[in-house]
Amino acid sequence: MIRIRFHGRGGHGVKTASRILGTAAFLAGFETQDSPVYGAERRGAAVTAFARISETPIRERGMIAQPDLIVLADDTLLNDPAAGVLVGQETASAIFLNAADPAPLVAQYHIAPPARAFDVTARTRELLGRPSALSAGVASAAAKLCGCITEANLEAAVREEFSHLAVSPDAVTKNVEIALSVFAALEPAVLSDVPRAATAEMARVPYVDPVLGASTVYNSGNAEQRHTGAWRVERPVIDAGLCTRCGLCFVECPDGAMSLDATGLPLVDYDHCKGCMICSHVCPVDAITHQPETAAW
Amino acid sequence: MRVKREHFRSPKDLPVVEYVTPGSPLCAGCGGLTTLRLMHKVLGENVVVVNAAGCMTLMAVYPFTPLKSSWLYTTMGSAAAGAQGVRDALDVLIERGKLDAADDLQVLVLAGDGSTYDMGLSATSGAIHRGLNFWYLCYDNQAYGNTGFQMSAASPLGSRTATSHSGAVQRRKDIFELWRAQRPPYVATVSSHDAVDLAEKVERARGLNGPKLFLSLAVCPTGWGFDPELSDEIAKLAIETGVWPLKEAVDGAVRHTYVPNRFRPVEEYLRPQHRFAHLFEPQRDEELLTRIQQNVDDYWAPVLAEPVANA
Repeated sequence: MIRIRFHGRGGHGVKTASRILGTAAFLAGFETQDSPVYGAERRGAAVTAFARISETPIRERGMIAQPDLIVLADDTLLNDPAAGVLVGQETASAIFLNAADPAPLVAQYHIAPPARAFDVTARTRELLGRPSALSAGVASAAAKLCGCITEANLEAAVREEFSHLAVSPDAVTKNVEIALSVFAALEPAVLSDVPRAATAEMARVPYVDPVLGASTVYNSGNAEQRHTGAWRVERPVIDAGLCTRCGLCFVECPDGAMSLDATGLPLVDYDHCKGCMICSHVCPVDAITHQPETAAW
Repeated sequence: MRVKREHFRSPKDLPVVEYVTPGSPLCAGCGGLTTLRLMHKVLGENVVVVNAAGCMTLMAVYPFTPLKSSWLYTTMGSAAAGAQGVRDALDVLIERGKLDAADDLQVLVLAGDGSTYDMGLSATSGAIHRGLNFWYLCYDNQAYGNTGFQMSAASPLGSRTATSHSGAVQRRKDIFELWRAQRPPYVATVSSHDAVDLAEKVERARGLNGPKLFLSLAVCPTGWGFDPELSDEIAKLAIETGVWPLKEAVDGAVRHTYVPNRFRPVEEYLRPQHRFAHLFEPQRDEELLTRIQQNVDDYWAPVLAEPVANA
């Protein structure tokens, strides 16, 4: 069995990527399983998806802690311990990095499995005009690394999955093009079947009186401790010289991640700004520009 | 045409203090969160939010909450009933001298359109009928957003949801009129785009005893399918095309607080949203586009026919 774990952010399309891979493997004649993790978090937050591919029926369920392949759509997640990108990397035969050059990432984050890389974001931007919606490219990387899926299987799976998403025929064609270019550029991984530890016994949770067991939050306003700044793909940068102190960006920030100094100049709270860029759009004098978030903050 | 504002003239007049902190897990660009944040600014700190299950329940995920006020979580059907319980408890505490009247809390129901238009409508109707002194904010993103964007009774004609793949065939319920039919002291529509209008309405309703109901168009990048950067633009287009009228009803008497001088074609609002993409591609659905425009025109015709009522 090949166990594949995808990591990305909400909006990147890793859930769709796992579906494309599952469908492609199914079309190639395998038993398959794919599923995303539905957490409480949303567009921009860390998202994980899983796929299992096997010649025999798959009895295993749930999250994959010991993957054969790790597929990473956004390298800034390596900075987020909660995303757990490298969890179980000891068993992984390869890791795919969405980057032009994997070497600096491998060195910086002590990535153990052999790394394969392709700049899916650049290719997607080139063909679709935007840097998100990476599903086809990322799924294609996984499919090629698996080594058991043909180009025809992949193309059929991309078409099949996109047919559920109501995208234009032109966008489907471009996604197929992205998938095929990634597929052609990569080599299959050398998969080694490392034995897995036995599955843990199911834990029994003791009954607790609801009065004691209910989740009650006694703090107020403590969500500030959670730094949602890592969700950004772009950061808003304010030009204090151009700013007229109108306050619109402050008012329209959904998260309240903007404050005003004594002179009325807005200041971005980069620890929390999710990068929606509404501030930039509402600014009447274009004093707020987009700056790509190349490394994690 | 904009009505005269007594309390807030420009965004600069809005309170700077925040009662909803950043760090919540809600989507980037959430219009519902903007509305809640702005409304809370004007309401002040002493609020207990009674929150029907929906997107906003994910605002507070154990052990974190962005609210500096209090929060109670209810089922989708029972937020207004929960508000009654909280209001009664506060009243009893004050009556028995256990709570200083100065420390009283304002009860705010926070509910999405699934709860407001569908499951919680009966509890809300009951609360209005009993004249419960509470606030109600519906963040209307026109579908069950939290569970994957299934159709609700608020989903507009032609909109694609997870359960209306070729577009909703029904017209959405007019919840403003359903509420108004019971003659609560205050009903209003608001939008994240017009923060000053929103703040003004909250201030106008403050002194009224009884249900104070707010319906906010909560632009939803995730469910509607547009880049989060366009959130405010889409909210603005909803107003400028006449799709989302800004109005209030005090004791049932309706007044529009903003009327566009020149209405933009509805298409300008529909086209940037993926949920309406099938109206334009692969070919234009002229019949449906005409119907949607006609519905908007029919709404405004009697409003515009009244010459001075809105001045």
